[in-house]
Amino acid sequence: MGTRILTVEDDERIRTSVRLALEDEGWTVEEAASGEDALNAFTAQAADVVLIDIMLPGIDGFDVCRSIRRVSDVPIVMVTARADTHDVVAGLEAGADDYLTKPFAPKELSARIRALLRRARSTDPATPHMVFGDLEIIPEEGVVRLAGDEVHLTKTEFRLLVELATNPGRVLSREVLLERVWGYGYFGDGRLVDVHVRRLRTKIEPDAANPRYVVTVRGLGYKLQS
Amino acid sequence: MRRLWGRLGLRARITGLYAAGGLLLSLAIALSTLTLARQNLVDDREEQAFAVMTRNAERVWGRLGPDTAIDEVEQIFGSLTITDRSAPLVRIGAEWRASDPLEFNEDLVPVSLRNRVEAGRAAQIRVELDGDPTILYGVPLPNLDADYYEAVDTADVEAALRSLGIIVLGVSAVATLFSAALGSWASRRALTPLAEVRIAAESLAAGELDTRLDPPADTDLASLTASFNGMARSLEDRIERDARFASEVSHELRSPLMTLNASVEVLNNSRASMDERSQTALDLLTDDVARFTVLVEDLLEISRYDVGTARLHSEAIDLVEFVRQTVQHSPYEVSLRPPSMDHLVIVGDKRRLAQVVSNLIDNAAKYGAGTTEVIVEPVDGGAQVAVEDEGPGVPVAERDIIFDRFSRGSAGGRRGQGTGSGLGLALIAEHVGLHGGTIWVEDRLDEAAGARFVVQLPIGDLDALDDDESEWS
Repeated sequence: MGTRILTVEDDERIRTSVRLALEDEGWTVEEAASGEDALNAFTAQAADVVLIDIMLPGIDGFDVCRSIRRVSDVPIVMVTARADTHDVVAGLEAGADDYLTKPFAPKELSARIRALLRRARSTDPATPHMVFGDLEIIPEEGVVRLAGDEVHLTKTEFRLLVELATNPGRVLSREVLLERVWGYGYFGDGRLVDVHVRRLRTKIEPDAANPRYVVTVRGLGYKLQS
Repeated sequence: MRRLWGRLGLRARITGLYAAGGLLLSLAIALSTLTLARQNLVDDREEQAFAVMTRNAERVWGRLGPDTAIDEVEQIFGSLTITDRSAPLVRIGAEWRASDPLEFNEDLVPVSLRNRVEAGRAAQIRVELDGDPTILYGVPLPNLDADYYEAVDTADVEAALRSLGIIVLGVSAVATLFSAALGSWASRRALTPLAEVRIAAESLAAGELDTRLDPPADTDLASLTASFNGMARSLEDRIERDARFASEVSHELRSPLMTLNASVEVLNNSRASMDERSQTALDLLTDDVARFTVLVEDLLEISRYDVGTARLHSEAIDLVEFVRQTVQHSPYEVSLRPPSMDHLVIVGDKRRLAQVVSNLIDNAAKYGAGTTEVIVEPVDGGAQVAVEDEGPGVPVAERDIIFDRFSRGSAGGRRGQGTGSGLGLALIAEHVGLHGGTIWVEDRLDEAAGARFVVQLPIGDLDALDDDESEWS
């Protein structure tokens, strides 16, 4: 069975054309015309990737994203109207892994999906088990423990943490993290890193406002403090 | 004259009117003062002289007998009230005697006066003696063949009047100058609100659409202020409506464009199986959908400047690395002149600056013909990115308008199109402006043919960047 993509989009013409383009790329596409449809479809059969347009009638894209995030760490791509609005940050904070702005080229979407799936599936199994204070990272099991309790991270958050953890004490710039975690080049959106770091902190830091593990190095990037 | 008057400024005219008014008024007052003063002074003088003369004549008459010899008159003169401005003269029979014959003697008495006096009537006449205005009185002495004459020199009155005239005219001149100063001051006072209106209008014209005048303390100006503010408000509404319209239209176009982009891609996936005509048509469609997409995106972005919702997402950017990356990502052959420094960190919006630099590179490659070179340099208080090409350059007359929307340069290719949307250079000029920087085009510094587009950016406040990058939210 091929990779299943659930596309949530209220405009039927866009839904159809995007489905055709994604099917050409070899994906199996399931369509949902509203937030309610999307949640029902996802509950009936979980997809491998979810593509959500933020502007939906009824339950909006943010809510759909949050609802899916509560039950699944499936990669989610948000479709926003513009790149320089708060929508991007809000979408990422609602749990999206990446975003695209309309109109996008379906080939670009396919590239994003491939990057997310690659991340979701592979973490270098040779990476050893790492411990930083109360924080324990077991890459081969995809498990993070804080003071012995398992912390639930999305695949992207996990990958970000592992990138930082494999270079303890070294500052990694946003560009480097964008490339290694998301597969973007130099011109990727630094907000992806910033919001994911923020999300990560709320899960692994005892006090997210005064991070002990993932610290910001102003103007340079982030590092994991050992 | 009228044309000259019309050419003068309002302030000069008000000052002139005040001065003229002051002059007329003070001259009128001066003339009436002088006339009245003259009348009073002369009347007083004449009255006084007449009284003295009458007393003198009575005294002479009292002392003269029917056979008084002319020589005795000398003694009588001694008892008269004589000033240094009056001189008596007495006739007895055919003989005359003056107290001061050099000043006044019988030869100086006009015949008309003499005739009237000798006819038995008292008379007076104004003459000039030795250039001085003088009143000559003549009184027949009753019952005697004798007359009494007296010359009264009124030059002192004239001198007093002249002094008075000079003083009054001087005061008039001062009053005129004062009026002019008052006019100048008053016109400045009156025009101060106009200066505020001027400043406000300039600020409006410069795009500060929320410019308003403060309500004036002076009720006379309230209507001017109200109508100015009303005009500014409707202008702002109008422009915002237009900008919102452009924003909404381009927003609405995104959905059909999404369908077009996806559908064109689907068609392109099976391009190989199409016949040649369909392939050509598909290529045209693909190109124009791409152009249309860029146009809508540029339009949407530029309309955000018009609506005033464009905000910088600032972060620290190493400009040297940034430009190196931009050059690497460019589909055109571009060389980066080795920068003189390793790092040049500024605060900027990466997405927008990438658009600025890549747009200039695209522009140079498309319309500049030949190799394009990019130079990064530190400048005083900022950094500079210059993009040079080997094209025909940009004529001086087009160097400003090239940054206008949909401007179409004549020579130098159709440069203004930038990204092909016609908005490229206008949009990046807005981006640079939002950073507090400037953009311009000039001749190449090495004087070779070609254009040199320069973007100058301030370093920005690195310390103002929040630790947690929360400026994103």
